[in-house]
Amino acid sequence: MTTSAEPSWEELMRAANCGDQRAYARLLQAITPVVRGIVRARGGALGPEGCEDVVQDVLLTIHLKRQTWRQDAPFRPWLYAVTRHKVVDAFRARGRRIDLPVDDFTDVLAAPAGPDPFEAQDMNRVISELDPRAAQIVRAIGIDGDSAADTGARLGMTEGAVRVALHRALKSLAQLRERMIE
Amino acid sequence: MKTDDLIAALSADVTPPPGIGARLARALPAASLVSLVALLGFWHMRPDLVQALASPALLKTVMPLILAGIALWLAQGIARPEARNRARWAVALVVIGGALAMLVQGLIVGGFGGLLMALDTPNLITCFLSIPVLSSLPLAATFWALKAGAPANTRLAGMAAGLLAGGIGAAVYSLHCPEDSVLFFLPAYGMNILIMVALGAALGPRQLRW
Repeated sequence: MTTSAEPSWEELMRAANCGDQRAYARLLQAITPVVRGIVRARGGALGPEGCEDVVQDVLLTIHLKRQTWRQDAPFRPWLYAVTRHKVVDAFRARGRRIDLPVDDFTDVLAAPAGPDPFEAQDMNRVISELDPRAAQIVRAIGIDGDSAADTGARLGMTEGAVRVALHRALKSLAQLRERMIE
Repeated sequence: MKTDDLIAALSADVTPPPGIGARLARALPAASLVSLVALLGFWHMRPDLVQALASPALLKTVMPLILAGIALWLAQGIARPEARNRARWAVALVVIGGALAMLVQGLIVGGFGGLLMALDTPNLITCFLSIPVLSSLPLAATFWALKAGAPANTRLAGMAAGLLAGGIGAAVYSLHCPEDSVLFFLPAYGMNILIMVALGAALGPRQLRW
């Protein structure tokens, strides 16, 4: 049961859509163990690193497709549908077809919480294919935890320009990953 | 890259991704207008258009528009990954069934000979050349909008796009088409719309991948 102290995923996502970065980060952190649980349950054959690649793929897709979630709809079915799509994709990329009934997901336990142990490799590979400045921005904000303003100051860009560049970079990452799959 | 790092990068990106509705609203009217202007420029409107639109031949324009409207609604539903869209499919099937029933009724009245006679006109070839051409820009606009979507089934999404574009193309072409017989426009327009649906089905899986 959700209490008022713990906002539901729907509430977090609605806040995120209004530009609340903290709510958005919280939501992504909350759903990651669930996504990881599904991916590991269905894709154990990929190995832990391979699974984490798929988890990151799902998160990137959730980010870029979050507009297709309707604000008045429950969030979980949407999350499961996106996850399912990406897991099937990951298997297709490895030359296997799997059948993945979406209803089964409700039984899947979330992966144990805690720091994620694996460095996923695919994302590093595609980040290095970005143009150098875009890669620098993604690494600064993601890995070094810098703010857009700090990153901008260091690179001689405005904060707004950094945000635009970040958005484009994330879109390119998704496209590069698609190409990896083909 | 660790997943926590990715989350940090994702949550710093506050630029909202494009919405399908917004993209459709931007691209589809413009694409339809270009098709209409092309018709005025390269085909020409039928001279008795006003009388035709006041007669039962109005159906020739209205039915494709209704189909396009339902396809628009259906496509937006299909573009959501978790939606099942039962109501939207039901309405689409009822309307398609209605068109088929009209065709059957026309066949009962006119007979098979009436169908052959209605279709035995050079306008049939013009029709098959024109509707796909007039539909192509609306199809491109719809695909562009649907790229912002996340359809669980990309082939179905492509088919809905084809139905939408074919409906618009047929409605535009109807302003030129001098054939008003039900036994002409139902099969001829229907086949053309089907061609667009098939094209959408062929393009969907590749174009709408996500």
